[in-house]
Amino acid sequence: MDLDALAGCLSSSACLVTQTTSGLIIGMLLFLVAVGLTLIFGVLKVVNFSHGAFYMFGAYFAMTAYQLTGSFALAMLCGAAGTAILGLIFERVFMSRVYGADVLMQLLVCYAFVLIFDDVVRIIWGPEFRSMGMPAAFQVMPLFIAGGVVPPYYLLLIGVALAAAVVLGIGLSRSRIGKVIRAAAHNPGMVSALGINTGLIYGGVFALGGMLAGLAGALAAPVRSLTPGMGFSVLIESFIVTVIGGMGSILGALIGALLLGLIRSFGSLGFPLFTEGLMYLFMVIVLVSKPTGLFGKEAA
Amino acid sequence: MTELEAGRAETLVPGRGVTTVWERYRDILIALIAFAVLASLPLFTGSKALLDFVIRCSAYGLFATSLNLLVGYTGLTSFGHGMFFGLGAYSFGLIMQRLGVPIPIAFVATLAITAVVAAVIGAICVRLKEIYFAFVTLAFQMLIHSTILSWASFTGGDQGLRGGIPRPVFLGVDLSNHIHLYVASCALLILGLLAMRQIAQSPFGYTLRMIRDNAARASFLGIDVWRAKLTIFVLAALFASMGGMVMALFVSGAYPEFAYWTISGEGIFINMLGGVSTFLGPMVGTVLLLLLNDTVTRFTEYHGIVLGIVILFFALGLRKGLLDFVAEWFAHRREAGEGR
Amino acid sequence: MLQIRNLAKSFGGVKATNDVTLDFPDGSLTAVIGPNGAGKSTFFNLITGALRPDAGQVLLDGVDLAGRSPPEIVRHGIGRAFQVASIFRSLTVQETMLAAVSADQRTSAVLHKRFPLPETRDRAEHVMELLGLAGKRNRTAATLSHGDQKLLDIALALVLEPKVLLLDEPTAGMGPEERWRMIDKVRELWESQKITVVFIEHDMDIVFKIAPKIVVLCYGRILATGTPDEIRNNSAVIEAYLGTEHAGAAA
Repeated sequence: MDLDALAGCLSSSACLVTQTTSGLIIGMLLFLVAVGLTLIFGVLKVVNFSHGAFYMFGAYFAMTAYQLTGSFALAMLCGAAGTAILGLIFERVFMSRVYGADVLMQLLVCYAFVLIFDDVVRIIWGPEFRSMGMPAAFQVMPLFIAGGVVPPYYLLLIGVALAAAVVLGIGLSRSRIGKVIRAAAHNPGMVSALGINTGLIYGGVFALGGMLAGLAGALAAPVRSLTPGMGFSVLIESFIVTVIGGMGSILGALIGALLLGLIRSFGSLGFPLFTEGLMYLFMVIVLVSKPTGLFGKEAA
Repeated sequence: MTELEAGRAETLVPGRGVTTVWERYRDILIALIAFAVLASLPLFTGSKALLDFVIRCSAYGLFATSLNLLVGYTGLTSFGHGMFFGLGAYSFGLIMQRLGVPIPIAFVATLAITAVVAAVIGAICVRLKEIYFAFVTLAFQMLIHSTILSWASFTGGDQGLRGGIPRPVFLGVDLSNHIHLYVASCALLILGLLAMRQIAQSPFGYTLRMIRDNAARASFLGIDVWRAKLTIFVLAALFASMGGMVMALFVSGAYPEFAYWTISGEGIFINMLGGVSTFLGPMVGTVLLLLLNDTVTRFTEYHGIVLGIVILFFALGLRKGLLDFVAEWFAHRREAGEGR
Repeated sequence: MLQIRNLAKSFGGVKATNDVTLDFPDGSLTAVIGPNGAGKSTFFNLITGALRPDAGQVLLDGVDLAGRSPPEIVRHGIGRAFQVASIFRSLTVQETMLAAVSADQRTSAVLHKRFPLPETRDRAEHVMELLGLAGKRNRTAATLSHGDQKLLDIALALVLEPKVLLLDEPTAGMGPEERWRMIDKVRELWESQKITVVFIEHDMDIVFKIAPKIVVLCYGRILATGTPDEIRNNSAVIEAYLGTEHAGAAA
């Protein structure tokens, strides 16, 4: 424990800015992964245990696309689109077979794919750490805000994630497709009775969730090292986010992700070895006081 | 539910019909025979690998079967049961390293510690239902794992408890001798299984089944559901802790992985593999998983793919554990026979 | 004797049970009727502890049970069966009975003996005979017919040897013939067991034929109590109850 470091940072604006930005980065990436997890749970009632794999694939796709084309925009696109297609296939071919089955069976199918996907990555890209490198466009002088150092890429990352959150929020509450999705989450039988193809919606939601996780992976690729199994810690953390925020709640995912990001960045100062423990402690406290999460609906 | 499904549900019940005194002795008899066979194994084979395999099966088998008391019998899906496996290994290792007491005393002390910790955690967890119970147990597991990692001065952090666990001779039993350790592991396994079998077949075991099927109705029969759930949570933790101790003795140490969530994941996986509707399902699952792990790692470095495909076969193909599948197949055959 | 005193329960402003005061003398058989949403099931839930009353007393032989937990209330002698048969799907009929007796004899936490305990057998056997389930003792509950599942539910309540037995629509979901068989069974049980029985029933023919005493609930209040003849001629009942639902049901 190093509470002096934490107190010192809280009293210095430079450190405050740096830590807050890094907390926001972690939080925003987590949000993109967690929101897919929470959407899939909300609509399909499935805990997609293999969601971290989409984050991983997003990062690898982006890296390869960047190396081939040298275009950062294309790399992001590839990361997002590639995982969207992957999500669609995964849902249609495999997950759709275990709807209504025991929750354990669903988890088992996901677990199988966590193992398989990690090995697939190992075969294609090798077992060693890889890195995509910062795109040239962002290799510029960092910004100084109130004495704190903020790389411009961080701002882009936060901006893109926020934009995704806003588009998603508005899309789900206003658009026709959003309404159908929410209806499907509420009452799948009714939706299919109305002649809407629930299979298509389920596949679509999975693709959307996969795409968001892939986008997070692609955005993270320049600032994180790539390795098979990298999806796993992200999965666990975004899982905590969804549990804290409430399974199925997008706002909850956003708040939960930001809270967790800040706990991580400031906790690493005060409790360098127990940062993860702090997250779990937080999760226990939330679950015990409100089992359905901060923004979750009470079970009927 | 259709007639067909209903017929299938019938076979999903562990221990059909009304048991007699004879059945109790039958279990003991089977246990004695199993122990005799296992214990005489070293007489016929010098294969250290085989004996090691049985020791590992003992550790994981105790753990997985105890998890089935929660998952299969009570309907409590714990994702954090592995914390007690880790707790057992660490408590036992630490007591032996620091206090140097005889092994049986460390064994009992570890069980006592486990009981207290499980009672505290269980009192918080068993209030929650279904998936939320799973989440909160997982969170506690990770909390314990984080504590082990960060409390390095006491637990050795990510290096684990190193330097070996002292195994002083007690009443002529020398657990640093491979054969002694092997026989002791088998004895613990058989005793543990026998005790768990007794729990499953006791009036309390049927109380658990009632809670699994319909907890609300059970409370309208005068059963304190919370207390029953807490009791089985603690009991199952004790056997998981026993498994952890066997593991600690085997590797002569304790590592953070013993307390990581993957242990719980493997436990669930073992149960799915073997089946949760029979008492010995998890034991079959344990043997299957360890065999699978060992053979696959020998043939390919990409064992994730192979293991994944095998899991998919069980999850999408059989849709149930192996022993469940066998039990149902027999039941169907019997029904067909009676139908004629 | 079961005495209900000023029992009240609201859900978000709606008074589901509104100042209900009733006496059920020992050995009485009473039917509770009322239109849908009259608060009949809520009334049962309040008595049995499934819901906590906002106010009032539930006195069984002078002991106030209001607000206590279901297990406690069961132990004081109020048993219940449910509208949708509430049973243990994977247990056999016999196992269900034996386990229930175990619960009643407070041996449901016993670890060191084998199930079933010898002292549970007689009572389980007796109730299975009583309800005609003895021939199906080895059937898993999930495989029983709808009617048998309802009987098993009642058997579960009865095997606890309650002083008061509350039956929430024992004939729900049954065909006409099955209904009569079930209600004859209920009446037979009441006569042979000498216990207080209160049952909720929708079928007016059954109610008027079987129940010596009828309670009519409407919007959480007691609209009327009395013998079948008194109820039949009660103008408030005719207007509020028979006037609406019965006409609707007949149409």
